[in-house]
This record gives sequence, C-alpha cells and structure tokens, in this order.
Amino acid sequence: MTPGKHSGASARAANAGAWGYRGWWTTPQLVATMPVSPAGSHKQQNFGLNNATQPKKSISFFATMKATSVKGYTGANQSRMAVSKTVLIPPELKTVEKTNPSIKTTQVFDINGTDVTPRPLYHPDPLTGTAKPSKLLTSQEGSLGSEFISSYSLYQNTINPSTLGQFTRSVLGSSTVSKSSVSASESIAEDLEEPSYKRERLTSFTDLQVIRAAPEKIVTKEDLEKNIEIILTETETLRFFDLPTVMVSVESEEAEKVTQRNKNYEVLCRNRLGNDLYVERMMQTFNGAPKNKDVQCDKIIMEDKGIMSTAWDLYDSYNAMELVSLSVKQSVVESSSKANVLPKDQDQRLPGSTTEKNSETSSLMDIENVILAKIHEDEEDHSDAILKSDKFHQDLFFMERVLMENIFQPKLAAYRQLPVLKEPEPEEPEDVLESAKHEEVEEESKKEEEEEIHAEESTIPANLERLWSFSCDLTKGLNVSSLAWNKTNPDLLAVGYGHFGFKEQKRGLACCWSIKNPMWPERIYQSPYGVTAVDFSIGAPNLLAVGYHNGTIAIYNVRSNSNVPVLDSSESPQKHLGPVWQLQWIEQDRGTTGDDKREILVSISADGRISKWVIRKGLDCYDLMRLKRTTAASNKKRGEKEKKDEALISRQAPGMCFAFHPKDTNIYLAGTEEGHIHKCSCSYNEQYLDTYRGHKGPVYKVTWNPFCHDVFLSCSADWGVIIWQQENVKPSLSFYPTTSVVYDVAWSPKSSYIFAAANENRVEIWDLHISTLDPLIVNTANPGIKFTTILFAKQTDCLLVGDSDGQVSVYELRNMPTVLETGAIDIQETIIKS
Amino acid sequence: MTPVEETLKRIQSHKGVIGTMVVNAEGIPIRTTLDNSTTVQYAGLLHHLTMKAKSTVRDIDPQNDLTFLRIRSKKHEIMVAPDKEYLLIVIQNPCE
Repeated sequence: MTPGKHSGASARAANAGAWGYRGWWTTPQLVATMPVSPAGSHKQQNFGLNNATQPKKSISFFATMKATSVKGYTGANQSRMAVSKTVLIPPELKTVEKTNPSIKTTQVFDINGTDVTPRPLYHPDPLTGTAKPSKLLTSQEGSLGSEFISSYSLYQNTINPSTLGQFTRSVLGSSTVSKSSVSASESIAEDLEEPSYKRERLTSFTDLQVIRAAPEKIVTKEDLEKNIEIILTETETLRFFDLPTVMVSVESEEAEKVTQRNKNYEVLCRNRLGNDLYVERMMQTFNGAPKNKDVQCDKIIMEDKGIMSTAWDLYDSYNAMELVSLSVKQSVVESSSKANVLPKDQDQRLPGSTTEKNSETSSLMDIENVILAKIHEDEEDHSDAILKSDKFHQDLFFMERVLMENIFQPKLAAYRQLPVLKEPEPEEPEDVLESAKHEEVEEESKKEEEEEIHAEESTIPANLERLWSFSCDLTKGLNVSSLAWNKTNPDLLAVGYGHFGFKEQKRGLACCWSIKNPMWPERIYQSPYGVTAVDFSIGAPNLLAVGYHNGTIAIYNVRSNSNVPVLDSSESPQKHLGPVWQLQWIEQDRGTTGDDKREILVSISADGRISKWVIRKGLDCYDLMRLKRTTAASNKKRGEKEKKDEALISRQAPGMCFAFHPKDTNIYLAGTEEGHIHKCSCSYNEQYLDTYRGHKGPVYKVTWNPFCHDVFLSCSADWGVIIWQQENVKPSLSFYPTTSVVYDVAWSPKSSYIFAAANENRVEIWDLHISTLDPLIVNTANPGIKFTTILFAKQTDCLLVGDSDGQVSVYELRNMPTVLETGAIDIQETIIKS
Repeated sequence: MTPVEETLKRIQSHKGVIGTMVVNAEGIPIRTTLDNSTTVQYAGLLHHLTMKAKSTVRDIDPQNDLTFLRIRSKKHEIMVAPDKEYLLIVIQNPCE
C-alpha cells in the first residue's frame, strides 16, 4: 500500500504498516494506521490491537526491543515528535471501537499520577478517512493540557501531511518504542495487562510527546538498567482482529508474488521522491475571498508655491506681528472713512512693506494691503489719492532737488568747495539724504574743478565768479532788501524783498531759499508791505522774523508750510510806526529776570525806537502771544536839535541799523539817519555811551569786525565806508570809492582784512592787507540794476549779492590771496599806519 | 493749484527734463508727459529694477529702505522715486 493512500481497512493498513515499518521495528505488528490524514493512513488505529494480538513472546521480545530501540530513537525522534504530534491517540480507542466495541476504556496515568487519559480526539468517518491534522492536535491539547501543546500545534501547522505520514510512522515507531518504554516502566508495574500495556503505550506515547525530554531520558536510562519484569498471563483467545498473515514462506506459492511485491514496494519507497505518481497535496485554509473595493477621492490638487526668503522679508514678518494689532485697529477705523487716506497711512506705518502686490513675499501687512487695496474699486480716486498724498509731495520735492543738482551741479560744486565734512543736520524741512547725496556727487566733480582752480590760480587775479542766482518769477522786479542765513542750516537763506524808498513801495515778499534749489524758494511769505528786514532766530532756527515797511514785525515758522505768521506785532500797541530797518535776534543774559540766556528780538525802526521783543511762552507755542516788549533803549541824540524820548515823539532820529557787540551783548551800536553812530548799552536806555561822528548821510550799515572786536565798519549814503575803532570817536579809515550810495557792507568771515561793500552799481571787495586805497575786486553790475545787499557765506568763499531786480546772485571769490586768520592786532596797526 | 501740482509743473518745465511720469503700482500712468507706450515701458522696466534695488537694500539691512534710485546713462539720467503705491519717474538730460 502506498503511503499516500488512505486506508480504510485497518487490516490493510496494518499490513502496509507492517510492511512499511519493517525497517523500523522488529515486530510488524507495531504498525498502526491513522486515518487522520491520507499520509497518516499509517496511523495506527490498530496499534493497540496489533499489540494485543501479539503473542506473549513477542511482547517480551518487544519489550526488550523497546528498551534497546529507545536509545536509538529517542534523541533522533524528539524533533520528530515535535513535528508530528499527530501520531497516536485515539487510534487505540478507535481501533477498539472499530474492531471491538467491547473494549473497555482505560485510564492512563502518567508519572505523577495525573490522569492523562487521552480523550478521543478524532472520530473519523471510517469511509472518508480524512481528517485534519490540526484538529487532531487541538483536541489533543484539550485532553492533555500540557505546556508544550501549544508549541506543538504550531509545529503541527507546518507539517506537510505527506511527511507527516512519514514522521508519524517513524515517530510512531520510535516514540512508541520510547514512550512505551517510559510508560512501560510505570504502567507495567501498575498494570500488567496486555491491552493496558498497549494502550498505555499509546497514551503514554502522547504523554511522551507532551512531556518530552525529561522523563524520556530518565526512562531510557532506567530502562536500560532495569530489567523489566513482565508477567503475562494468557487469556482466552479472543478474536478481535484477524490479521492475515503477512509472512509467507519462501517456498509457498505466493512467495514470489510477495517477494516481488516487497521489492516493488522498496523500489517504490525509494522512488517516492520526485515520482510523478506521488502527488503532493496541500491543504489550504480557506481565507475569505478578497473583495476589492474602490473608492474614489477628490482629486488632490497640488500647487507649487515658491517664496524667496529674504532677510527683509523675515524682518517684516516679525515686525508685522507687532504692528498687526495697531494697524488692524487703525485700518478698521479708516476703512470706514475715505479710502484715499488708507494707502498712505499704511504706507507710512510699514516701512518695509513691498510695493508690488503680486510679489511673492509673505509679509502679513502686504497681504492686508492687498485686501484693502482691492476694496478701493474706484481707480480714479486711487490715483488722485496718490497725487494728493504727502509722500508724493515729498517725492516730488526730492525729485526737484535732484534735478536741480543735476542742473546746477558744477556751480553747486564750486560753492561747496569740496567740503569733506558732512553738512550738519538741519532743523529745517530739508532733505538730509539729499544733501548727503549732494556731497557725494559733488565731491567727484569738485576734485576736477579744484584742480582747475589750482592751475589757474597763479595766473588769474582774484575775481568774483558768478555761480548762480536765486530768482524766480515771483521775485522779479522786486528789490532785495535784506539777506540772512539760517543759523543752523547753512544752506537756507532768507531773503526779504522790499523797496527802500517810500514812493516805490510795492508788495513785499520774504522767501526762504535753499542752496539746493536755486530756482524756486522753499517758503514764500507774501505781504502787501515791503519787507525791510529778515533774520533767523538762533535758539529756534525755524523762526524767521520779518520786518515790514509799515513797522510790523512778523515771526514765521518756516517748518510749516503755512503762510500765516506765527506771531504778528501788527496788533501790538507798541509796534513800530516806521519801517523796521533791521531785525536781529540776540541772545542775552537776562540778569534781571534771573533766567538763562534768553533770546530777544531787537528791532530798529524809523520811528526812532530800538525795541526788544520777547516771546514769553515757549518758542514753539502756537497760540498767539502778546509780544511784550520793553524798550531797551531809546536813542537820544546828543545833538542840539532833536531829542529822543521813550515816548513816540516825532522828533526822534530814525534808526537805520544797529549792531551788537559780538562779545558783550549789552553794548551795541546804532546808526541813525543823521549819520551818527551811537554806542549804547542795554542797561542805559536814556543815554549813549559814545557817538561816532563821521558820516554825513544816513548810516545804512554798521558792523563789528568778527575778529577784532574793537573795530567796526559802517557805510552810509554819503558814498563812504568808514572803519572805526571803538575807542576812537573819529573815523580811522574811510573809503570813498565811488559816487554812489553804499547800501551795504560786510566783513568777511574768513579774514579780518577783507570786507565787501555794495554800491549801487558795484560790488567791491577790499583787502586791507593788500591795499587800503583800492578794492581788491570790483564787480560791476548790469546797467539798471543796483546792488543793494551783500552777505558772505560762512563756510565757503562765496558772496551773496542782492540787487534791485529781485535776484540774489552767488559769487565765488576766486583766487583770493591766502590770508592769515589772526588779524586783530594787525588790522589795527594797519589802520593806524594808514 | 495745489503745491503738488505746482511742483510737478515746475519739474516738468525744468531745463533738460525730457519726461515726467507718475505711475501707480500696476503700471497705469497717472500723470505723464510722454506717450503711453513709452510710459508703460518705463514703468514696467523700472518697477522691476526698483523692486530689485529695494530688495538689495533691505537684505543688507532690513531696517533700511530704498528712497531714491538714479540711473545714469550716456544720454540721460533716469530718476525714480519709488513708493508703495506709485512710481515717480523723471528723465533728464543734464546739460554738461
């Protein structure tokens, strides 16, 4: 019988088993068939029976055999036992059932006395004869309850049924041998019956499987040592099973067949592997049929978004977090209001935000702006908003400056004379950035120019070079009456336009010009009256005092764009009644009040009063304050005819000019229309300290020498320019260069020897060091134009000349002889010499 | 006239000024003295350049910002005052 076949008939199986296991066992009866699996057909159902049918002899023999064979198989078959657990079991019972239902159930006890009676695991249908090995094992588990069972089951699953059969056979053989030996020692001792022996063998076989190694080894040793006594008694011969003989005599008729069959079987066994006749059959657990379920999800749309992370972008984002709350509030408020204002404000608050809406930056505010910008649906409004915005205005302002720079660049460069120093920060509404750029651009071009200048110096004598002139349409036709530099910003110039004569009175104009824009003034203050005096404040450089021909004094704040004066003296009851010929801001120690140096505005006018104006409250106060003034001094003439009072008496000599001593602000000089120059003190308002007589006509200008404080200069309508010394009442030097009125004189800020004088049609530069008789430079005006005012530029070698046509020309003094700075003593000597 | 208008007019009438343009952020001219196509071309090109310049300035120091841009070429000088909402462009031919 082939191993792959089932064995329905136990006898047959037995036979087969007998044949098959011949090599393993000495007794053919040990073969047992197991109907569990096809391969397991060799399982020995009849095992017990076989054994039962064995004669006594064989048993004993068997026993010994067992002992011997135990050794051999135990070790080898341990694994096998693990593998094939299936073996044994109920076959005994089953066979019993099958063959002889009368067999009584036996109890199996293991070493410990535990009842390990194997329960029938499997009750196969004898017809089908198929069973699953797993079933067998699992049921085994239940019955035995040993630890190893679970592991065994694992093993079991991997068993190839075909091999199982093999193993089972082998196992059976070995295990039964060993097992039986194990149990044999015990059980035999206990139970000496044959059937029980067999069963025990079987059952113990199971036990053996479960318990495994430990008892087995012990048993085998013991077995070997011991002599097992088996007492067998013969019972009636009960025919349970009739197994036909499987042994055939060689001489019988069937011998050949049998032999052949045996041989065939051997061959078969050998050929089993790889033989086509042998079919491997596998059992498969039925898994549930898989079912595919498709689900379609929405298409995942992918978008690539790239951002260039820049340093400023990160900065903006971090800063935007702080600004978000602020601007959100404000923008919410503003969104309700005119939309025009929004972009500008947002713009101001967010210095870093980009201008491009479509840019990739992730700035929060940018996004907000985009959103807000979209709210503005009216494009026209938006563009108007742009035009009206302050930023735009400012940009225009800058642009104009830049244009000017481009146009006037060489001139401005010459003016600047390549200053290495940066221009000081102005307090005026000036563009600092602009000036800085100005510097950079000019430096380059100036270098070239300077080289030229140096080349020319040796050959060309000193001259005035006209750089440009401040003029515009507004100023055309007006007479420049006064010039004043701003004290803080040297680029800012105040020009007053107004006629001198009474008859020629036209409208007046006070303009603030900037060097950076020679074509249009920064500020324009118009008035119906002619402007006769202008001056910038020292302490508050944004304040410009303007004196009018009608005696009014107005103070403007040049920071603001408004044309309305901050303060006005027109309502003041003590205002001047005559034209204010000169204004000056003086910083004076106010000893009486105990304050610090306070600035006062001093004015002199034709009504004969020198008045002092004090702005009581803070200088930046917007409220109109009453100008309280106290008359510091009233000019009294020590003449015969006129006397001056503090009260407004017409018989006062109109004052034309004054000059405070540079060191001692208590002392000042005043020039009158009569031609006298009085030295006065602030402490005394009734008396003069000194009177300098020399001029025959009204003294238009008196000015102290900036280096030598004892020398002063005066000019008058009597065509003369006189240099005085403080101690000397008489003139020290006098110049009568032309037969025209000298409107203005000024000392050069660079040298104590140089001064300039403006005649009607000439501008003269005198250098006393070189000559006291002739001017160094003479510049003639165009016919019809009178030079009315002059002013030196402080840091540069330039001279500003105002004329009667409303132009303020900037001249550069070129090729001036190098002058020594110290001139205090020298000039006096020079004067004395001459 | 508003001071803005006055200033703008003055700029336009300055010596050497070839053209003055004010364009908004989208490149649409608000005020221009040149023809539309030129204006749009200038606006578009200068916009990118301004962006780049601004990015450069701010990359170096995020607290800084671009206020003015001048491009000097052989023939003339282009001056750009950038802002968030607009670009003020003036092309001048400085007489030298």
